[in-house]
Amino acid sequence: MTTLYLPQSARRELESMVHADYPLETCGLLVGQQSNDHIRVSGVVQAQNLNKERAHDRYELAPQDFIAADTEAQKAGLEIVGVWHSHPDHAARPSEVDRESAWEGWSYLILAVKHDGVHDMRSWRLVSGHFVEESIEPCPQ
Amino acid sequence: MSTVTVRIPTPLRPFTGGADAVRVEGETIDEVLKTLGAAHAGLLERVISPQGELRNFVNIYLGSENVRVLNGLSTTVSDNDVVSIVPAVAGGAAKDNRLAELKAIIPEVTPAEAVKLQQQGAVVLDVREVDEISQGSPVEACRLGRSYLELRVEDAIPDTRRTVLVMCGGGARSLFAAEAIMRLGYKDVRSVSGGFSRWKNDGQPFEIPRILDASARERYSRHLLMPEVGERGQLELMDSKVLLIGAGGLGSPAGFYLAAAGIGTLGVVDDDVVDRSNLQRQILHTEARVGRSKVASARETLEALNPAVNVVGYKTRLDSSNVDEIFTGYDVVVDGSDNFPTRYLVNDACVKLNIPNVHGAVYRFEGQVSVFWPAWKERRGPCYRCLYPEPPPAEMAPSCAEAGVLGILPGVIGLLQAVETIKIVLATGDPLVGRMLYYDALRAQFTEFKLDANPECSYCGEGVTFPGYVDYEQLCAASNT
Repeated sequence: MTTLYLPQSARRELESMVHADYPLETCGLLVGQQSNDHIRVSGVVQAQNLNKERAHDRYELAPQDFIAADTEAQKAGLEIVGVWHSHPDHAARPSEVDRESAWEGWSYLILAVKHDGVHDMRSWRLVSGHFVEESIEPCPQ
Repeated sequence: MSTVTVRIPTPLRPFTGGADAVRVEGETIDEVLKTLGAAHAGLLERVISPQGELRNFVNIYLGSENVRVLNGLSTTVSDNDVVSIVPAVAGGAAKDNRLAELKAIIPEVTPAEAVKLQQQGAVVLDVREVDEISQGSPVEACRLGRSYLELRVEDAIPDTRRTVLVMCGGGARSLFAAEAIMRLGYKDVRSVSGGFSRWKNDGQPFEIPRILDASARERYSRHLLMPEVGERGQLELMDSKVLLIGAGGLGSPAGFYLAAAGIGTLGVVDDDVVDRSNLQRQILHTEARVGRSKVASARETLEALNPAVNVVGYKTRLDSSNVDEIFTGYDVVVDGSDNFPTRYLVNDACVKLNIPNVHGAVYRFEGQVSVFWPAWKERRGPCYRCLYPEPPPAEMAPSCAEAGVLGILPGVIGLLQAVETIKIVLATGDPLVGRMLYYDALRAQFTEFKLDANPECSYCGEGVTFPGYVDYEQLCAASNT
């Protein structure tokens, strides 16, 4: 099983971004490094959600934001290691829509958010077409 | 020919040996991608469809422009341009379809794959309702209804690391059931796609399982709730044959409750008729039946309580000439006899035929229960003759008629015999083999005595030849409990 190492600062940043945009979905990228089964997040980037029509339960990350984040990461010797998005008033489990659009090799961090803040945060990876949950740890060992 | 830098996103880097950017030559995006594909097998298919079009979950950017708004794949490139392969990143809670969500997280297997996994140790968990299961269910499947699934699955499948293949009728309910048991900690849970209808159509092995009908399900519902009994145990009770020696003080309460519990066949041996003085304790009989045969009276009461029980009456006195014939085929004998000739005969026949002998005896305010079963695999206990090789003289063995008995006392002891009987049939718990439970009603105390087998016993000792039955009838006068 893979492990996503998410520093406390990144976690707090995610929680506040996701809560601020509630009840709309919000999304972004995880920047860091990965080796074997360890994914170390060093920063989180928020991106524009292009899906305005169903922003309460869909997201489509703006490609320009992806390119910008990818370029920045490369300069810092890092890479994009995953995607994060919120599920307003919904569980932190991936949906079929999430699965259809997912890529193997990335972590998909989902934050379940309600009016009073983030209730749950889980991370998933696509393995042979299905999502498998990975553990989230606060800091690298 | 221009040389450009192609930026490779993380998910595609396994194809470029981990490189995040690759220098490639070409005049157009199409040429650049094809050259890239030629150098890194497997990459092109992820980006271009078999029809030669850009896949819709990928965007190609030339600098900061999406090539879809330029000339698509025909867009020309210049030296040192940066071409980025940008995976479409999308998704969302998609709250409108819970089932689709489950499909995203629960792996599915075909019935054929399920059979293969079953052979490797996986368990098929059939979560359909009883009426569906009665039409057929995969061979060796674990059948737990959806409604009690969470309560029962941990008893049925104690190892949470075992692969569980959840199956329903069509493959939808199984996804919800799979999610439920994953929450209980099962690590490898999969759903059988297409459910039992596909299982059957694909020709995978199934059986028509024996299950309880609706009326039995209702009658025994409190048993079905207990993991120690459950449907399997209830079917075992219904398949079992128990022989009551005597329809008197002990046989009445034991037989009454065994019939209620659903024992399939209850044999009753008694040659006596109902006497008014019996009614103080022999609760199978009634005032109106005084003077009638006890076997007929017992049958009437037991069948009225539970018509499904097959009551077999033997209106005869047990002796060495008929004991083999009567005992053969019974799983357990409940000895409620009131005299030594019968008690020895019951013991000897049970030893000879390997039948557990659930013994009970009462005297005024005292009673005792044990299970004489030398052949029990778990623990070697004695037979009655290990303790008392020969009967006492008649004057030393008072019957109830002589000594008296508190009417309720045989009720207590007979019910303890019934409990031991049920435990033996279900092969659950620790029976009173090698132990004697003694009840003192005046002190309201139970005391347990350890009983040792006699290795030299002439009936159950190692390697002894069965010495034959003894009719002690001539030695001591018969009497009634």
